[in-house]
Amino acid sequence: MTATTQSASTTAAAGSGVRARLSGFFNQDVVLALLVVTLTIFVWLVNPRFLAQRNVLDMLNNSSYIAVAAIGMTMVIISGNIDISVGSLIGLLATISGQIAIGAQDGGYPLWIAFIVPLFVGALIEAFIGFLVAYLRIPSIVVSLGMFSILKGALILWTNGVWIYNLPDDFMLAQQAPLGVPVPIYFMVILTILAALWMKYSATGRAIYAVGGNREAARLSGISEKATIMKVFIINGVMVGIASILFATQFNAIQSTVPPGLELFIITASVVGGVSILGGTGTVIGSTLGSILLHVIRFGMQFVDVSQYWLQAVQGILILVTVMVDLLRRRRQSYSGRG
Amino acid sequence: MAAVEQQPLQTETFGQRLRAWLTRLVISQEGILLIITIIAMLVLSTQSDRFLTARNLTREAVLLFEVAMMALPMTYIIITGGIDLSVGSIFGMSAIILGFAWQDAGLPLELAIAIGILSGMIAGFVNGLFIVRVGVPPLIMTLATLALYRGMALGISQARSARGFPDWFYEVGRGDFLGLPWQIWILGAAILISAIVLARTSFGRGLYAIGNNELGARFAGIPVDRYKLIIYTFSGFMSGVAAWIFTSRVSTTRSDMGTGIELDVIAAVVLGGTDIFGGSGTIAGTVIGLILIQVLKSGLLLSGVKGDATTVMVGAVLILAILINNLVGRFRS
Amino acid sequence: MEPILQLTNISKRFPGVQALDGVHFDICPGEVHALVGENGAGKSTMIKIISGVHRPDSGEIRIDGQPVEFNNPREATERGIATIYQELSLYPELTVAENIFMGHAPSSQVGPFRKINWGEMFDRAQEILASLNIHDMDVRRKVGSLSVGNRQRVEIAKALSINARILIMDEPTASLTEADVERLFEIVRLLRERGVGIIYISHRLQEVFELGDRVTVLRDGQYIDTKPVSETTEDELISMMVGRTIDNLFPKLPSEVREPVLEVRDLRRRPSVRGVSMQVRAGEIVGLAGLVGSGRSELAQTIFGITPAQSGEIFVNGQKVEIKTPAQAVKLGIAYVPEDRGTQGLIKEMTIRENVSMAVLPELARGGFIDFAREKTLAQEAIQQLNIRATSVQQIVAKLSGGNQQKVVVSKWLASKPRLLIMDEPTRGIDVGAKAEIHRLMSELAVQGIAILMISSELPEILGMSDRILVMREGRLVAEFSRDEATQENIAAAMMSAQMENNHLVMERSAR
Repeated sequence: MTATTQSASTTAAAGSGVRARLSGFFNQDVVLALLVVTLTIFVWLVNPRFLAQRNVLDMLNNSSYIAVAAIGMTMVIISGNIDISVGSLIGLLATISGQIAIGAQDGGYPLWIAFIVPLFVGALIEAFIGFLVAYLRIPSIVVSLGMFSILKGALILWTNGVWIYNLPDDFMLAQQAPLGVPVPIYFMVILTILAALWMKYSATGRAIYAVGGNREAARLSGISEKATIMKVFIINGVMVGIASILFATQFNAIQSTVPPGLELFIITASVVGGVSILGGTGTVIGSTLGSILLHVIRFGMQFVDVSQYWLQAVQGILILVTVMVDLLRRRRQSYSGRG
Repeated sequence: MAAVEQQPLQTETFGQRLRAWLTRLVISQEGILLIITIIAMLVLSTQSDRFLTARNLTREAVLLFEVAMMALPMTYIIITGGIDLSVGSIFGMSAIILGFAWQDAGLPLELAIAIGILSGMIAGFVNGLFIVRVGVPPLIMTLATLALYRGMALGISQARSARGFPDWFYEVGRGDFLGLPWQIWILGAAILISAIVLARTSFGRGLYAIGNNELGARFAGIPVDRYKLIIYTFSGFMSGVAAWIFTSRVSTTRSDMGTGIELDVIAAVVLGGTDIFGGSGTIAGTVIGLILIQVLKSGLLLSGVKGDATTVMVGAVLILAILINNLVGRFRS
Repeated sequence: MEPILQLTNISKRFPGVQALDGVHFDICPGEVHALVGENGAGKSTMIKIISGVHRPDSGEIRIDGQPVEFNNPREATERGIATIYQELSLYPELTVAENIFMGHAPSSQVGPFRKINWGEMFDRAQEILASLNIHDMDVRRKVGSLSVGNRQRVEIAKALSINARILIMDEPTASLTEADVERLFEIVRLLRERGVGIIYISHRLQEVFELGDRVTVLRDGQYIDTKPVSETTEDELISMMVGRTIDNLFPKLPSEVREPVLEVRDLRRRPSVRGVSMQVRAGEIVGLAGLVGSGRSELAQTIFGITPAQSGEIFVNGQKVEIKTPAQAVKLGIAYVPEDRGTQGLIKEMTIRENVSMAVLPELARGGFIDFAREKTLAQEAIQQLNIRATSVQQIVAKLSGGNQQKVVVSKWLASKPRLLIMDEPTRGIDVGAKAEIHRLMSELAVQGIAILMISSELPEILGMSDRILVMREGRLVAEFSRDEATQENIAAAMMSAQMENNHLVMERSAR
């Protein structure tokens, strides 16, 4: 046992400095960014129109609400849980927002309420999920699967699938573009930076990693696992709220049904962004890059003339590949850790 | 303690045993469920005299067919502590491949049916293979293939549907045998076989052992990996069969067929008392769970709720069932 | 010098075992006090009592002469006691500095938020490492990317960040390379000079002589003696550690040793089994001795197909066989009573009936269908034959006592009518009565012609039961004794005294 480590460590000692710097540089975020760039260049070579300014902005704009929702999802997954219900929740909150906006138009109350209420409702519903997961110890997959269909059904009950039209112009937040850049992109960039800093430097942010990475050790260090999981779901609710507003205000009508497969798209973005589905690792910068990567793929498929219908299959393969890379990495780590 | 130990093994009287059996039945998940189901059915029959008719009941049974077919292997899988989220996607993909093989590839329909079912089996086998050999957690593996298989359905079909099958193809989905729809016979046989295999064979015993303590099962020489491969493949097979018969009933294949059906399947299994963490559960429980969900659904429909909105109830029932299971579990121990 | 920590007359009982019985221990500032004893001697229990994980049933703990009581590990930490366990408890995804300050990061309250003062934390982490003469570690690096030796240094720094006055090190060198061991020793000496009291637990006696000031020996939960290291020798320590008299608990019956049932040649499975060749013959009980981590259980599990061999040959009854899964091993007539009853040996949530039949389901079943009547008979016979105390065959195994649970495991494997029975710690944690019954049974089975390979950490058990004794160290067999030549001393010496030349040999081999 000693011997294997011995021979390994002598070589490691020599090369460790260089290798550490290299492996530090080639983390998932950088790999993803390189992947986005490579893919972009590839599609551009096939079809130069791909890099038209309008198309790039469109692509980023479309990534934005996914990226914002993926920030929350990333935290949930890092804490060792999952949330399937976000697709339905975005649909529901978007509808709530739209209805309030129409109400505001008719008078009585100011429009900004339409932007605030979804955040609270999102936080409230996710708090309920968090409560069931943290305090009643029901697996998050089951709770959120149940919640997914409750919210979906509730939305249909409420709207009967009728679309919302005649929204006030002021409501169209996502269609505005100060300095030529659409608003959702600002949200994506600013929220990603804020969340990344918060995850890295705040006590709660670190606690999320601790809970997802080593539950027992987290408990021994005096971190409250339950409170941390509650917080994670509540923050996720707020993020989903913001995402739903960006979603609701991008077109002149709100679909008021649940966009199919949306939750899967968000989970894929997180996972592809290097969030280990086993909990404990990952970054929000990665998940945002993941969202952008997915959209580069999606738009790129159009430009190189591959049918959109294959997109979901690509998603599935992306998840599988990332998960397997993660598993292999972990296996190697635990092997060298054992010495 | 000593007194208990000394008690000889065979001296319980018949009365004691009957009472013990009855108590066990009533506080068992199946017992509680059965009572709830019967009450729900009685309430519904007072609401509408169309409900408790033979015609309506067979119609309900046909509606429940696809979910029920998938719930049987799902019971096995959840008993081992796994899960299969991809059943709905396998269902959709099998149907599309069936249609594609017949309409686009021009194969004989009989062969197309076989290929459709086989593709379901392969899809399930791939799930099992990655779970067993690579060690991907079932939740993640089947989440990824939920996207992948649905994507294949979309990609292969390019969202076009196959239709215009020859008449004989519709027999199994819409025809009767001895006065009852084919679905009831097929489902009945499937339930019977699954129940017997789970309760009476060494395979079934192995599934419980895996769910309670996988390492212990491995150390006892139970072929854990092979059993897991079998159940995920079985799950794919049943999804494939369900897809064939569903296509026969609705006469067309669509790539979004079965979207979200995994929820109904899992809800029925968990409602039927199968522990989501593995180790316990029965086919009887799952069947009662299926019936209860169908009864509640048709109750909502009868009271004028639109079709898609019944998912509210399925979701609520799923969460409530686990909550109650938790509480009852604490009470029992 | 006045001791910082003093334990007097500490006793602790767990269900079925007296883990500690009237143990004394003390430690002075600036002292390395080594704690030695065989597996199960009570060392772990003692450090868990010192670090507040367990509470003693009786006895007194004093810190600086004041009696104290710890209700949880936190309270011990607050009194300056830090423990470095064998399995390091770090977060791989967090930085070195965060791990050092986990749970007590320098922070300030900003409104409703607790803000970590990052600059201060990095600076202080750097200072602590520097004070340990560690200058080559970046405190901003993730712990997951560090070597095992470096992780351990982080653990030590973590202990210092709470100003630990007593540092407990449990087998700190178990997974270190030689270079790392040297650095560790330097750090330990540094801490000693600084007045930290160090409780040092190790199986490697030469480390005790290199580092220790005093050494305390425990045996079977009893306090044996405390001596200055300069006044003792390796031989004396070994005989104190093992010096039990062999009582007549084990009535080994004479049995006729016949043809070999199992033979393995140069069996290898990295990292724990490194070329083992041996035979076990019908009618023979072979005792396999060795320290924890010497590869004994791993060898058993390789033979049983749980971790199949990577190279080497296995012969059963003279036939060369491949064993890739436990199911194959069972078919060949091999049975394995594993070390850990709860997770490996039993499905505790299931009934006695279901557990007893677990390994023979294929034989009990006709066309896949289990014959429930035969299954019930089988379980009833097991209950009678092994005298299992249970209300019925339907009783859930979790509700049985340890000894009766072990009997269920044994009867499960007897049902498979094995030719070779491997028993891994067959009597660990069970009461004296059940222990004697299991020993009697083993003896009878050998007379019936079953080959038995028994792994045990209790030397009296090895000496009492075995016809032949093999000793394993670092994945290889290092000694063999016949029943007549074996003594506690020569077995223990073979188990423990890791001579450097041997180490080099192993290194060269695996480097190839």
